[in-house]
Amino acid sequence: MCRQASTICWVPIKVRMDLKTTFHIILFILLLSVFPQQFITAVPVMQEDTAAVSSDMIPSYEEPGEEQSAGNSYTGVFARIFDTFEKSPTLILILYIVIIYSIITLIVLTVFILLNRSRMQKEQGLRQELNEQYQQLLIDYLFDEEQRKEIFRQILRIASSNFRRQILINQIIELSVNMQGKVREDLRNLYLDVGLKKDSLRKAHSKKWHENVKGFRELAYMNIRSANDRIMECLNSHNQILRMEAQIALVRLSEDKPYTFLSYLEKPLAKWEQITIHELLTQHNLSVPDFSEWFDSENLSVVKFSLQMVSWFDQKEAIDGVIRLLKHGDEEVSIYAIRTCGKLGEKKALPHLQEMYDHASYNIRMELLKAFGRVPDENYLEFLNGVLDREDDVQLQIMATKAMENLDEPGISRLIKLMKKKSEYKNYQIIIRHVLDGRIY
Amino acid sequence: MGTFWTILGEVVNNSVFILTVIIFSTYLSLMIFSAVSLRKYLRKNSYVDYNSIITSPVAPTLSVIAPAYNESATIVDNIRTLLSLYYNNFEIVVVNDGSTDDSMEKIIDAYELEKVNYYFDYRLPCERIRGVYKSRNRSFKKLVVVDKRNGGKADALNAGLNVTKNDLVVSIDADSIMEPDALLKLVKPFLEEKEKKVIGAGGVIRIANSCEISGGHIRKIHLPEKWLPRAQVMEYTRAFLLGRMAWSELDGLLLISGALGMFNREIVIQAGGYSTNTVGEDMELVVRIRRYMAEKKQPYRVEYIPDPLCWTEVPSDIRSLARQRSRWTRGTMETLFKHRKLFFNPKYGKLGLLGYPYWFFFEWLAPIVEFLGIVWFTMLAITGRLNLPFFLLLLGFVYFFAVSLSIWSVLFEEITFHKYEKRRDVIKLMITAFLEPFFYHPLTMLMNIKGNIDKIFRKTTWGKQERQGFSGNSKPKKGTKANKETLEKNEETTGNS
Repeated sequence: MCRQASTICWVPIKVRMDLKTTFHIILFILLLSVFPQQFITAVPVMQEDTAAVSSDMIPSYEEPGEEQSAGNSYTGVFARIFDTFEKSPTLILILYIVIIYSIITLIVLTVFILLNRSRMQKEQGLRQELNEQYQQLLIDYLFDEEQRKEIFRQILRIASSNFRRQILINQIIELSVNMQGKVREDLRNLYLDVGLKKDSLRKAHSKKWHENVKGFRELAYMNIRSANDRIMECLNSHNQILRMEAQIALVRLSEDKPYTFLSYLEKPLAKWEQITIHELLTQHNLSVPDFSEWFDSENLSVVKFSLQMVSWFDQKEAIDGVIRLLKHGDEEVSIYAIRTCGKLGEKKALPHLQEMYDHASYNIRMELLKAFGRVPDENYLEFLNGVLDREDDVQLQIMATKAMENLDEPGISRLIKLMKKKSEYKNYQIIIRHVLDGRIY
Repeated sequence: MGTFWTILGEVVNNSVFILTVIIFSTYLSLMIFSAVSLRKYLRKNSYVDYNSIITSPVAPTLSVIAPAYNESATIVDNIRTLLSLYYNNFEIVVVNDGSTDDSMEKIIDAYELEKVNYYFDYRLPCERIRGVYKSRNRSFKKLVVVDKRNGGKADALNAGLNVTKNDLVVSIDADSIMEPDALLKLVKPFLEEKEKKVIGAGGVIRIANSCEISGGHIRKIHLPEKWLPRAQVMEYTRAFLLGRMAWSELDGLLLISGALGMFNREIVIQAGGYSTNTVGEDMELVVRIRRYMAEKKQPYRVEYIPDPLCWTEVPSDIRSLARQRSRWTRGTMETLFKHRKLFFNPKYGKLGLLGYPYWFFFEWLAPIVEFLGIVWFTMLAITGRLNLPFFLLLLGFVYFFAVSLSIWSVLFEEITFHKYEKRRDVIKLMITAFLEPFFYHPLTMLMNIKGNIDKIFRKTTWGKQERQGFSGNSKPKKGTKANKETLEKNEETTGNS
């Protein structure tokens, strides 16, 4: 009987209760945590029951000692709590600990959430106020040379804490990104005079990677090379973000050959990094290097990126190198090389592409046909027609048809002829209709 | 008889207690992993300029597939929202899954569509496609509309996959609202791919009930007025910010919500596309593509974005909620049963040893154990064997721990995205966390049990009631070659020209 009576305590149960009942339950549990002896002694069955569970769990419900008789004093309450803990079975102790932990967490988190709200609102207000102040002061500083010293003093006075200095750095960078020449130089001087360089250097040398990133960015924008060694160290960091930011900073800080880091890169260059490098090249007027320089890199991601950049910047002089890469051991590099041949529109590559076709894998064949579509040459009409006849795969047939269509008159007349022809290959008509429908592509 | 009760009591008590402790320890660990993951994500992405993806030639091409069934009232606006998403090289594929209302007519009129001579390559099995439509107006050149026979959501997604040619596909619900930069954020994990291939990515789904919406965009965010959707806000916050974030960190994510998920198209097709014989096609797909990669011995990852990327309306009445939860439970059961080979199978790594067992014990089994606990408690109460103080002690243990987890998730929301601007909304959410275990949790537990019963009695609600069922008889053979069936279908598709 006793054993069964305790059994229910392990079953996780939730019952329907209204708010008032909930409050009573919470109150009860709180009271239970503080004055458990009263409740437990009211349930004497436990003494026998727990004996069956395990010997180390046996609570010995002794008479209250001196500590317990200490009445309502704090010492008495704490002593009672400790006493209860000492005498409770292990599993029940776990329950107590979890309940107490949860209640404390709830109180702390609730207070924290509410305070954090106020803090965030306050911080946002201050940030907005500082942004407005700095913006006005910076414009006055740049365009009112007579008042410059006074404005400088005002800026120094406002930028009195790390938080305030950080907002000033952000404002200076934001403004200098859109400025050129003397104005930009003035902003850089202001940055140096206020001593913000120290802040950026401190961040660049910090042990926290996200601080490093912030520091690298600031130094790169302000064209300060004092931390270049530190930035170089991070080029092969395990942390991808840090590595990428180091690359970007070096590109911005290098006067000549900003992309030399590609030669020393050991880690794969992710697409995201490639996007960033490409953006730097196109948006910030940096000199475009000859990307064929990295065709022999051992880092295959660098080779693939270089091939993409060769086609993007239309570096036709690199075509021989691209043709050489058609037969690269790595299939993906071959695919990128074929794509580059197509995008460069160099007919010189077509014989090599045709030669590859018969022994190529499905993916390579698909890419070869796309390349033929990009470099229309009617000398290859028969080859493409042959592919259309030979291939069973619908996608390859569509690509071959598309390449024929791109040959204009000769290709289109051949396709129309094929459509009219009664062939056992019924799909000619549907495929050709699909390809000739200009609304699809 | 007494001994029998004693032994039974011992067994039930100890096993249920152990399970409870394991569940809570697991949740505690998940919370820690989630905190680590969130911190990492926020730090990492605070420096990101997503706009650089838009202009880059290196960025992958995307197709957004939106299946629609009888959504005449909202479909035109929803397509407009999709067309205004920030991304350069992408297309919107709307699949009209045999709607019986005037959805198709409305889309044709609004977007000046006309049927094109499309050749269909049925790489994935799907119901017959009646036609593919494109707009005469160049402003809508990114829009492709596929009109097909009704076959259910999974079937519509497969049809969309057959039409797309782009590198990545995004599956969405046509009635959900996406954040304008959702594609940019979702594509980023694929761009960061290194040694491990990223095969899928999901984002946080938020609840749009009571929010101010105009022109297909969320204008103002409010906490739902009604108690049922509000409890679901708490549930979603906990599930997405604590659960999925942690599983992503552990690389054990088994579910990307059907409302928004991005996948590597080729991997999805090679793994066989969406399964049409389950009501939980979203979870089944993730498990299958993970399994496919593990069997091919190719290193992979499934990523998860904590940013709120998509807004959806949740059931605001008990009947709809019951139907949804029953479907979710059946979906979970079907996926777990179909992929039972994974259970503690070291060959599948974290998928077999962590992800699958977690779903088995904590997502499927836990509500059943809980229900049995209540039955057990009732039985003891009736027979007068109940020890009330201990029952209350345990209730306190479960209650306070559960509420503290909810409050942790509110904290995570507050320090990360704090979408609810009003302090009043946050306070309301916290009160919901305190009350939810009493009124909402028992409800969803019972709905879960109903789902189990429905599954046992072979109910297939998703296909038959809501989407008018699959016929499944006229599915073409799977394959890439132009077989006879495919050709015949294409004749029908393009027959008008």
